[in-house]
Amino acid sequence: MKTLFTRRLLIATAALACLSGYAQAQNIRIGFQVPLTGPAASDGKTALQGAQLAVEQINAAGGIKGRSLELVALDDQTQPAQAVPIANKFIGDGIKAVISGSYSGPTRAAAGVFQEAKIPYISAYAIHPDIVRAGNYVFRTSFMGEVQGRAAAKLIADIMKKKRVTMINVNNDFGQALSAGMKEAAPKMGLQLVSEYNFGMGDRQFGSIVASVKKDDPEVIYVSGYFFNGGPLVAQLRAAGVTAPIVGTEGFDTVNFVQIAKEAAEGVIITTSLDRDTTDPTMRKFIDDYKKRFNVGAEMVAASTHTAVNVLAEAIRKVGIDDSAKLRDAIGATKNLSSAVGTITFNNSREVYKAAQIQVIKGGEFKRFAVIDDPVLLAPPNY
Amino acid sequence: MYYLDLLMIGLVWGCTYAMMALGLTLVYGLLRILHVAQATVFTLGAYAGLLVANATGSLALAFVAAIVSSCVVGVLIYRWVYEPVLDKPPFVPLVASIGLLIAMEDGFRLIFGPYGLSFTSNPWFATMVGFGGIQINLVQAVLVITAVVSIGVLGWVASSTRLGVGLRATVTDPAMAESFGVNRVQVRTATFLVASALAGVSGLLVGMLNNLVEPGMGGLIAYKGLAIIVLGGLGSVSGTLLASVLFGLIESFGTVMLDQVMDRDAVAFLFMLLMLLIRPQGLLGKGR
Amino acid sequence: MDYYLSVATFAALHIILAVGLNLVMGFCGQVSLGHAAFYGVGAYASAMLSVAGWPFPVAMLGGMLAAGLLGVITGLAALRFREDFLAIATMAIGFIFVGTARKLAWLGGEMGISKIPSPLSKHEYAWLAMAAAVLLIIFSLHVRRSWMGRAFSGVAQDEVQAQTIGIDIAGYKIAAFFLATASAGFAGGLYAHMTQLIVPDAFGFVVSISILAMVVIGGVGSTLGVATGAVVLTLLPEVFRIINDYKLLVYGGMLLGVMMFSPQGLAGLLSQCVQAMRRRKEAA
Repeated sequence: MKTLFTRRLLIATAALACLSGYAQAQNIRIGFQVPLTGPAASDGKTALQGAQLAVEQINAAGGIKGRSLELVALDDQTQPAQAVPIANKFIGDGIKAVISGSYSGPTRAAAGVFQEAKIPYISAYAIHPDIVRAGNYVFRTSFMGEVQGRAAAKLIADIMKKKRVTMINVNNDFGQALSAGMKEAAPKMGLQLVSEYNFGMGDRQFGSIVASVKKDDPEVIYVSGYFFNGGPLVAQLRAAGVTAPIVGTEGFDTVNFVQIAKEAAEGVIITTSLDRDTTDPTMRKFIDDYKKRFNVGAEMVAASTHTAVNVLAEAIRKVGIDDSAKLRDAIGATKNLSSAVGTITFNNSREVYKAAQIQVIKGGEFKRFAVIDDPVLLAPPNY
Repeated sequence: MYYLDLLMIGLVWGCTYAMMALGLTLVYGLLRILHVAQATVFTLGAYAGLLVANATGSLALAFVAAIVSSCVVGVLIYRWVYEPVLDKPPFVPLVASIGLLIAMEDGFRLIFGPYGLSFTSNPWFATMVGFGGIQINLVQAVLVITAVVSIGVLGWVASSTRLGVGLRATVTDPAMAESFGVNRVQVRTATFLVASALAGVSGLLVGMLNNLVEPGMGGLIAYKGLAIIVLGGLGSVSGTLLASVLFGLIESFGTVMLDQVMDRDAVAFLFMLLMLLIRPQGLLGKGR
Repeated sequence: MDYYLSVATFAALHIILAVGLNLVMGFCGQVSLGHAAFYGVGAYASAMLSVAGWPFPVAMLGGMLAAGLLGVITGLAALRFREDFLAIATMAIGFIFVGTARKLAWLGGEMGISKIPSPLSKHEYAWLAMAAAVLLIIFSLHVRRSWMGRAFSGVAQDEVQAQTIGIDIAGYKIAAFFLATASAGFAGGLYAHMTQLIVPDAFGFVVSISILAMVVIGGVGSTLGVATGAVVLTLLPEVFRIINDYKLLVYGGMLLGVMMFSPQGLAGLLSQCVQAMRRRKEAA
């Protein structure tokens, strides 16, 4: 009795295993490097959601030539030291293309590994220049640090018409890349960098910096940081009586920023890739679908990973996933692709051009302030 | 003006550290344990207070919640984690404490999510108090007042009440104290109650100050707290206070002046290290 | 293959770090919460030498010496401090190292040092790391059984007593620190050349705690226990990718659990088992 049952169970299990293996073989698996733990865990969660939404939408529309897309996510703990082993794990598991939904440090560490293994690697929102310089298999679907800096400089000089700027940067790849971009563009736009201060990613109390800014009395304050820095910083600046307009970057593009800073968030302007007031159908669809799926407002990080998945999916649709050189070329050939972050086109150095969305916070919501669509100004470098 | 501002900020930070460090120095003085897990109680107080404040709209209830939750957990940590290992070599309670801290931080992240929570209404945050030309916000003022009051009350308890005298006796000579009828368990429980309450309240206040309660908010403050009690002279309350204020001032001035050379945390630790090399027993510690 | 090779290499590096820390903690009774700083100093020193054009052996030696020098200084400072102070002091060194490496441009700042030349193949790194690990283990075992080891234990048990029998405590403490930190420096040098990119965060407080965990879970004072602890804790994150989300919870819980129920770590558990078996044999 028992043995018959056991045998049947074994057969059923084996059949199931074969079937799932078969199904797995049918799925197109793409890797997703994301910080699910560590200091970037909040952005990591959002990044994963954006990618998941993209995969769900693609599969709902019939997948890629009938095959389902499958996202294989691994946690890099926001640590470059962890990024290298999981890059090796992806490669060892036979993953043919990987997207990074992580910060610049870990992405930069993994880029070298993927380049050597000739696996196409797309950085969804990490902005450090060295990432793409790792080689011709590495791409970026978001703004480089220096391009964002240029956009901010143009925003401050030409649109806001101010001159004296104080920069406050977060101490890491992200902040340093942005500050380099701003420093390079500022003199060309006629801006004067009055002072510069730095803080650590873990800082929440900015008393000394606030006091120093008060003393410097700039016309505009440019802050590069994440929402968990920017929120308290902006609140503390306003509480201390500093009324100068504040320009932030995509790190502030989250609902949490407004929740933390409350009234102080009013009037803060950010350079980002998501326009809540957009009429562009693809961007609009993303914003609405994200809200429906996750019950929370869409954010830049999610839009970026959503875009990266779509760019990769489009390329796979054209040439399949098995020939990495062909896939690499197909990704690089992406032109005028309509995505959640606007219309994007790669240049010869695997960086994208897209318009910069300038948003302002009014009534606790992100609204359009301006759009900088200048292919010359915002051209990513060719090297 | 500017330097006055920096001074004020330094004092506020110093008071924040003092509340954490006081608890740490009390525990160390009594049990020779570096209570790293104090950070857990700090964060718990903040979460408890925030949840109650958002649910009921009452700050008073929030403080009660913070104190109660942190006291309960603090004493439990003593009972379940420290008491069983009191006879083991010193690294055992230290590593256990660190393990507890790491686990709890992750626990908070799993329960409350990685994003961090904010207060739906935080009136003290936006209210400014001014005197002598300097402006600080109400939360900062409350922090300073609470710290000063706590220190005063503790000082009085230590010198004038049975419990306080018993505590000091137990620290100096446990066996003798017991023979005089001082209840060891009572003294220890009281110590942890006080230390945890201080941590919980300061956690809630810091949460209000940043308008952000995060799973990892306690960690760095606990490590700095340890550096402070070492700097002050392990076991010396007045040393701890002095060191806390110094730390706050060093950070406040150091952040803007040594900006290019090292980051804020490093400045404070470097100061501690240098002071220790000159005076190994700490500022007000007893010599070997 | 590459993946397993990289895991094996990291395991070997961690063995070097853990066995080194064990020399300081187990033999000398000193708690160090900043071991990652020596790892980092070795990594940075050798990376900067390599990038400047010096050959690999020179860079590695440079890394070892730099880390060893810092170690000697720490040892000298340790002479002035009592146990608890040292724990905090070494923690401070860790934070100062990261804080400084983050800021100073000539140390690479936040971006760290990249494009470090890699003269060896993945296999060669693995063999080199494992050879070094084995060497260190043998040396550590030898020290344990020799007069130096007895002196070390003497220092751990009772400093005053040891002093009265004329053991030069200071000398041995310094020697222990130098050994431990120079080998950490060697591991750092290997790490830098293997990954070709080092950032300050790779050597922070969390890493120091990880190394401490390996020593503690393996069993303080037991060389083989500590080496086992290092291997187990290196493999754990790989195995645990399935329960990935709860990783730190499990990790912290393990530290707590080991301290509460078996403070002598795995080595302690093993020796308890052996003793229990022996008793049963004798009774039978």
